[in-house]
Amino acid sequence: MLKDITFGQYFESKSFVHKLDPRTKLLLLLIIIILIFISKNWLSLLLVALLIFSSMIFSKIPIKMYLKNLKAVLPILIFTMIINLFYAGSTTATPKWSQNLFWNLTITDISLSRAVFMASRILLLIIVSAELTYTTTPNDLTDAIENLLSPLRFIGLKNAVHTLAMMMTIALRFIPTLIEETQKIMNAQKARGADLENGKLIERIKALIPILIPLLISSVRRAYELAEAMECRCYNGGEGRIRMKQLKYNFDDFFTFLIVFIVGATIIAINIIL
Amino acid sequence: MSILEVKNLTHTYDGNTPFMHDAVKNVSFSISKGEVIGIIGHTGSGKSTLVQHLNGLLKATEGEILLDGVNIWENKKNIRAIRSRVGLVFQYPEYQLFEDTVYRDIAFGPKNMGLSDDEIANRIYEVCDLVGIKRDYLDKSPFDLSGGEKRRVAIAGVMAMQPEIIIFDEPVAGLDPQGRANVIKMINDYSKRYNATVLIISHNMEDMALIADKLLVMNKGELAIFDTTENVFRQHERLIRMGLNVPIVTQVMLSLKQKGIDVPDNIFTVDQAVDYLLSLKQGGNRNA
Repeated sequence: MLKDITFGQYFESKSFVHKLDPRTKLLLLLIIIILIFISKNWLSLLLVALLIFSSMIFSKIPIKMYLKNLKAVLPILIFTMIINLFYAGSTTATPKWSQNLFWNLTITDISLSRAVFMASRILLLIIVSAELTYTTTPNDLTDAIENLLSPLRFIGLKNAVHTLAMMMTIALRFIPTLIEETQKIMNAQKARGADLENGKLIERIKALIPILIPLLISSVRRAYELAEAMECRCYNGGEGRIRMKQLKYNFDDFFTFLIVFIVGATIIAINIIL
Repeated sequence: MSILEVKNLTHTYDGNTPFMHDAVKNVSFSISKGEVIGIIGHTGSGKSTLVQHLNGLLKATEGEILLDGVNIWENKKNIRAIRSRVGLVFQYPEYQLFEDTVYRDIAFGPKNMGLSDDEIANRIYEVCDLVGIKRDYLDKSPFDLSGGEKRRVAIAGVMAMQPEIIIFDEPVAGLDPQGRANVIKMINDYSKRYNATVLIISHNMEDMALIADKLLVMNKGELAIFDTTENVFRQHERLIRMGLNVPIVTQVMLSLKQKGIDVPDNIFTVDQAVDYLLSLKQGGNRNA
């Protein structure tokens, strides 16, 4: 049901990865994604994979959680593999082995290797992105985004960055509230005999109206109330605001950056040499 | 013959996760037709969870609920019929209004029961007379009404289904004294008119003393006391230990008693107190 939706899926722990500065994690996620895409051969992909797997161990998140995440993208994974399996590509190398299935769909050792390579790339992408949300609270993430985008103030976008970050924080904060509210309204209408489970598609869509209208009205009401409460506390945008929890890089962050840079440099070197 | 019987009801939230906890633990009681039952208990004592089982919004982890001797889950497809026999008015019911006129909003429940348009119209006029909604309000938008009026319309929406048992979850929360009195009167009138059984969750002991025949006291998910209102309020020490209290006028009487003045301990409403004090005056000063 609705309460099974857990957005962001943060998992409380005091691991090394949890304690890293959210900006470090966000930047390194970007760098690792780039590394995954510039890896042209198995050796460099293996290096990225090693980096990601060791960070998984340091995150102390049960492997089961990552696997659960993969289940959702299995269809995309299989689709990518099948497409790549039959795609000859632009390579000039002659395949050592090939098998014609029917018509002109041919599998070669090159296409087979490419299909597995592509699937591994997607797997690594998903695992490393999941690790960020598992180890970082949504609020920390928005703080990091605001902080990283703050140079935009030099081109006159200071308020835009703060407003965007505030909007994200508020949106994340109200997801559980709205889920709870939806559940409540659904129950209230069910108590009045609303039938939400049965009926044809059109009937089911119609049955949503008694839920969506009260939900919309209460969201608007909440927005007004929140705006008033913020104004009562003299909120007037980002100008001159300071944080209670300042973001600070420390030794762990530099150490992690260093390792990722070394791996990155190695991969670029491998790409040039091979 | 009891109309509603709850047998060993247990409800576990978030089963098989670290957040697992029992919201309701092994609760059993039975209610006779026409009784008005007050449900009191500290916040988080399982009151709301308990009442959501009675019309099948929640399914018990263990135990069963018998309506007229029949398990409400005996025929799963019948659960909507059960919900029209056991009405439930949620907390802040005005937040569930959604139609463009008061008439159509009240008609939502009866329509879901599959009644004819004539029957629906009859029921709406009947319930409007009962709860004091003027006829010219029926064509207004429910969103143009005041808070107290919205509450009245929302309650009328459940009453129009004419359930044999009607449950209110904190029906007077957030209303002014006039609105509270109106809602209490509506509930009283409904139960008299249809000989309906009423269950009310409330934190307001004064209202409970006025309206409830019996009180069901929940404490930490368990049924602590189920007895007549008088017998429950006599156990004021036990109630206070559970984070509850007795009506203010009873507190006054209790402190008078502590000061050595001999007053009875079964005074729960202001009217009773006035009557008693007047009788003292007429009968001469016994203690003062």
